[in-house]
Order: sequence, then structure tokens, then C-alpha cells
Amino acid sequence: MKKNFYILRNGKLIRKGNTIYFIYEKSEEKVFSAEIDGEEMEVETEDISDKQEYEKRVLPIEQISSLFIYGRVSLTSGVISFLSKNNIPVHFFGYYGNYESTLMPKEMLLSGEMHIKQAMHYISQDKRVFIAKRFVEGSAQNILRNLEYYQREGKDLQEEISYITNASFSIENCKDVSQLLALEGAIRSKYYSSFNKILKSFEFDERTRQPPENPLNAMISFGNSLLYATVIKQIYHTQLDQTISFLHEPSERRFSLALDISEIFKPLLVDRIIFKLVNKDIIGEDHFVKELNSCLLNNKGKEIFLREYDEKLQTTIKHRDLGRNVSYERLIYLECLKLCKHFLGIKDYKPFVIWW
Amino acid sequence: MYAIIVYDVGVERVSKICSFLRCFLSWVQNSVFEGELTESQLMRIKEGIKEIIDKNNDSVRIYIMRSKDVFKMELIGIEKADTGPFI
Amino acid sequence: MLLSQALFTGTQVNYYIVCPTKLWLFTHQLSMEASSEYVEIGKFIHEKSYSRERKDVIIDEKIGIDFIRDGDKLIICEIKKSKRIEKAHRYQLYYYLYYLRKIKGIENVEGRILYPTQREIEVIEFNEEISREIEKIMEEIRKIISLDEPPKPSRKSYCKKCAYFEFCWV
Repeated sequence: MKKNFYILRNGKLIRKGNTIYFIYEKSEEKVFSAEIDGEEMEVETEDISDKQEYEKRVLPIEQISSLFIYGRVSLTSGVISFLSKNNIPVHFFGYYGNYESTLMPKEMLLSGEMHIKQAMHYISQDKRVFIAKRFVEGSAQNILRNLEYYQREGKDLQEEISYITNASFSIENCKDVSQLLALEGAIRSKYYSSFNKILKSFEFDERTRQPPENPLNAMISFGNSLLYATVIKQIYHTQLDQTISFLHEPSERRFSLALDISEIFKPLLVDRIIFKLVNKDIIGEDHFVKELNSCLLNNKGKEIFLREYDEKLQTTIKHRDLGRNVSYERLIYLECLKLCKHFLGIKDYKPFVIWW
Repeated sequence: MYAIIVYDVGVERVSKICSFLRCFLSWVQNSVFEGELTESQLMRIKEGIKEIIDKNNDSVRIYIMRSKDVFKMELIGIEKADTGPFI
Repeated sequence: MLLSQALFTGTQVNYYIVCPTKLWLFTHQLSMEASSEYVEIGKFIHEKSYSRERKDVIIDEKIGIDFIRDGDKLIICEIKKSKRIEKAHRYQLYYYLYYLRKIKGIENVEGRILYPTQREIEVIEFNEEISREIEKIMEEIRKIISLDEPPKPSRKSYCKKCAYFEFCWV
């Protein structure tokens, strides 16, 4: 089974033999704190992998599903073409853990037919709204699953639950995408306001981005960026076009379809991690760096979050229609397949809702 | 499946087999590699080893298990290599 | 029959026997194969067996034969992993034989399916009855692939090993 590798240190990736080596300076702390304008390691032409002052880590090429890069890392052109040949995407994240870009392999699954049909579902107002509604519906249902769980655990979330339940009833009445976006925004902010009741520490206050202003916002942003990259990878394994989206405008981001699909999975893959990390005291104030008007996870905090996230992606659940175990990461791929079937007119799309 | 590969091969073939296995598995200590594999990867590993070794003098053992959970590993001394996905 | 009408690939004939849904999806460039372990194993067996033969002979851009042995008779060979979908393998070869005989005019030709992992070989003979059957199949293939939507899949024992399993049943 292939797995994701997460690089937090600064260093460089080189190709050696028929695989990939990550080289970093021995003197560096295990968890290095990257600075905004930190120096990159010089790209040398000579082979430094056996030199005393460097540490190396061999990444078995056959085991890599994708690379997530948080440190300042230099890549040689040899490595770039080798990763591309082996169909391994590399995701890059910035100082705040924000998504920056993906180095995508050149091989792609293409189907003119799928491309045209996906675009037709965007062009037709009715068809577009139908799909956008499903994304909002999936998001609302999964949010409700989380709230209901904590309600059973003894938190008083009745008000939030009835608000979001009512809001989800009015999804069908929305006439266009802007109404849906407004409704989705209202659901999310109601949901976020419940975090203060669910979590035993940290105050939520309000949602702040770029940069996040407190630890909760820092974790939400960090997790959402991570999920965004994960979804991009799964879309890549299908014939879907990354840029044609339905709830979000296609112009919003480079890969806006990933924004749409992410909405459905945030409650399962991001929010639940935050609840666990905070309520079980796995993460605390000392895992954050606070600056003048921003707050972000330090590298120890990032590693804790990534560890939890990686475990979550690999968690398996018995799929009712398929009759086999699938990982949470695979659920995202299955969501892409369901969209393909919708576009091809095989089966109307129904969003994933946590069924366990 | 999970595999542990242990080899004892002629000096001139040590680095060849080591760099071949590095493409598939994690190096854990001298002459020992471990990791999760699919059936097709195992087939390719076996084929690759056959091409490298001298069948009359070298010896490679592959221990194959359904998963990592079916055995317990006890370590005495130090861990020689970090194999986790967080670097 | 006109030459231009005869041109399907052997894989399409194979998929027609296996599953019309798979045939439609494959023809419409909706392949899933990249992530399937069974496909990986098949590829490996294809690469590693009969490595001394000149592999992958392409005729008229559409007919891809694993390898051909030339002697007093032309022998076209296909390497397969298991006998699970034997019938599909057989019709794939019938189609090649049909093509070589009827379109290319090569009479002295025979087919073989090789199962290297089971060490078995199956000899495929051709006759007029099969020829008519192949023509019927080509007509059917043409009908299926020109449908606007793929035919509804029906559950078969080998669905679980198919690269399209998730696509069909999710």
C-alpha cells in the first residue's frame, strides 16, 4: 500500500539510484521552524548524500502516494521528472500551512466526453444548481452528524442542531448559487459558534483567515488546506476537470472543484481531528506561534496534526454498496466517481453522508 | 501484505541489491528491509532479486505476512533508521 | 464486409464478452486501470513471460497481438493471467484470426492462449461458424458503443476483481 510522506524539515530532494533521497543538515533540530523568507538549501551538483554533515532519508519510490512539503525544500530537475514518471504529485504549503501549489505528474486520464458533459452541467443553470445543492446538503448533514454526536455526549447543542436542520430544509428552495453560498455560510458560522461548547479549551471568537488569528482558526485553516490537496489528488485519478466547479465559481481557485468536494469532507476529516486534539489535550497553547496579528501551528503542532490526519485518511469503514472496506481517503475518490456517473447520466449524484 | 527481506550476498553485489530494495522497502538495519507490499510489487521484487544475485552463492530470505499486526517485533539496542512518514 | 467496419481492437471484443458496461466505458476513454492491482499483476506477467519473443505486434493500428511465431504456420499468441474469463480470451483470438483470414487473406494461421502461471496452453482453431459469430459480435459492439449512456451493469462473480468495480457499484 502506498502512503503519503510529509516533509517538515528544510532540505533537498534528489534522485539517487532509482529512488528519492531527502537530504538535510545534521545540525538542524528534528523539527525546524521555517521562516517566511528563510534561505533555501543550496542546490549543489555534487552528490552530498554521503557527506558527514548531512543526514539522509531514503523514500522508496514504490511506496510514495504523494508528498506534502511544509519545509523549505529544493528539488532537482531529476527528481521532478522522476516523480512525474512515477505519477506522484507533490503538494507545497506556505508559512501558515496554507496551500501553495501542486506539482502534478504529466500523465493524466483524459476523456473528451467527460469534459464536455461536466461543462454542460455547469453551463445549464438548473443542472449547476442541482449539484451545488448536493454539496451544501452533504456538508450540512455531516455537520449535523458531528453535532448530534456531541449532543449525545451531553453538550447542549439543541439550538445549533435545530437551526442547521431547518437551514438544510431550505436548501431545496434556493434559486441560484449565490443563495446557496449564503445559506452554506450561515450554516458554517452557526456550526463554528458551537465549537466553544464542544471544545474544553480555546475560544473560537470568529473565523479568520490569511492569516488566522487564534489557535482554532490556525487549525481549521491548516486542516482545510491539507484536505484541499488531498481532494486534488483524488480528482487527478479520474477524468474530471479540476477547474469546473459548481458551488464555488470556477475562477475562484486553480482547482475549484476540490473546493466543492472538500465541503462535504471537512466535518469528517478536519473538524473531528480538531475536537479530538483539543479535548484529549493532545494539542495545547505551546504548539502555536503567536505573532502580532496571526497565530499558526509550530512545527511540533503541525506534526501532531499531520499524524492524526494521516491516520484518519487510512481509517477504513465497510462500504454498504461495495461490500468491502474502504479508507476515508478512498471515500473521496468514490465521491469523484459518483460525480462522473452523474455527468454521464448514469446515476443522480447523492453526497456522501457519514453513515456510521 | 508485510514483508521482511534479509540477504547475505557476495560483497560485489551488496550495494546492487541494497539500492534495488530501496525502491520498494525501508532499510531497517544492515542487510534487512521491511515494509508493506502489494502482490505485484512482491512479484517484481522477486524477479529483480533473481536478476541480481548469484544463485549458487547468495541467499535472500523473504518473510511474508498478511499484515504488520500478525507479529511482534522486540528491539534490543538502538533503532538504526527512521521509517515513519513524517520527516 | 467493408474493411473500415472491421476495425475494433481485440480488447473491445474481449470486453464485449466480459461485460458490455466495461466495453462502453473503455471505448469512451473512461478507463480506471491506473489504480488496479489486478491490472498491475497482468502487466507484470505480460512483461516477464516469453521475454525472448518480440512482443506487441501491431497490425493496422488497431490489432495488438502479444507476439507471433512464424513457421510453416503463423501462430498468434496471447499471454493471460488466469482462466477466470477464458471465454473472453478465446473470442479475442477468434477475432484476430477472423481479421487475419478475412481481411488480410492469411489462411495458414492459428491462435494460442498461454497461461504462464498455470503452465497451460490452449490452441484456438477457427471455422466458418465462428466467423459468422464474430460478425454478429462486431454488429453488437457497434450498437453498444454508440449508445448515449453505458448499459446498466449486471453483477457477475468476477466484478470484484474488475478495475471498474467501484465505478459500477458505488
